Amino acid sequence: MWFETVLAIGMVTSAVFAIYLKETVSSVLSLSTMMILLSMLYFSLNAPFAAIFQLALGTGTAAIFLLAGDTLTKKSDAKTSTKTKFVGLIASAILSVPVIVGTVATQTVTRSFDLSLSSALWDLRAIDVLAQGLVVLTAALGVVILLKEERRQK
Amino acid sequence: MDYIILSVTILAIGIVGLVTKHDLIKMLIAIEMITAAATMNFVVFGSLMENPLGQAFSILALSVDACVTAVALALAISVFKKLNIRDVRELSEIKEELPQEENRTVEEN
Repeated sequence: MWFETVLAIGMVTSAVFAIYLKETVSSVLSLSTMMILLSMLYFSLNAPFAAIFQLALGTGTAAIFLLAGDTLTKKSDAKTSTKTKFVGLIASAILSVPVIVGTVATQTVTRSFDLSLSSALWDLRAIDVLAQGLVVLTAALGVVILLKEERRQK
Repeated sequence: MDYIILSVTILAIGIVGLVTKHDLIKMLIAIEMITAAATMNFVVFGSLMENPLGQAFSILALSVDACVTAVALALAISVFKKLNIRDVRELSEIKEELPQEENRTVEEN
């Protein structure tokens, strides 16, 4: 229980800093920390496949964001002061309180499903997986067209 | 500790970031946060109900999220290299400053 609480506090703090910090690279690092903690939370919830997928995607996203942040950062960009960081820390501490203390009355029906992840993914959601492949291909094509257009104009 | 409250808190932080920040990268980070909060619910409820469909849905949602991020980042880089602008408000101002004919072409595109 304490492990999940620590993860939750860490996630809220890193989420606040990802938005609050002025430096893009620091924001991206905070987002990466949040992704890693989220992945650890998935592991603790007995969802290893989702955890590994989240970790892999988080790593890729962080790398792309870091490259983009470095490319798009101007030298004159403002830096976060220590006072602002302290205010962010207080805000994250206040936001962490309801996460630790609060409860929501939910009614969950607990019944065991005789289903593995692979059969859930490939038998029940096969069309979704195929459609998702199409989405990934379209996105890749879109990115290539965008970057090629830019080169052509140069 | 309740995972729903954690999810709502992260969602709220993401929405606040999306509304208050005008930097393209910061807005993308906020969107990433919102989608992470939404995907967390799939895994949490799937785990509570011992149903692997939650994990399956989370995997599908994460892939689509990665595609959205990739396309949005490509757009942001393209805009920055063309106009040297990272602020969304400046982009809106540029659109307003464009002559009527060019403005129509931008809207058509």
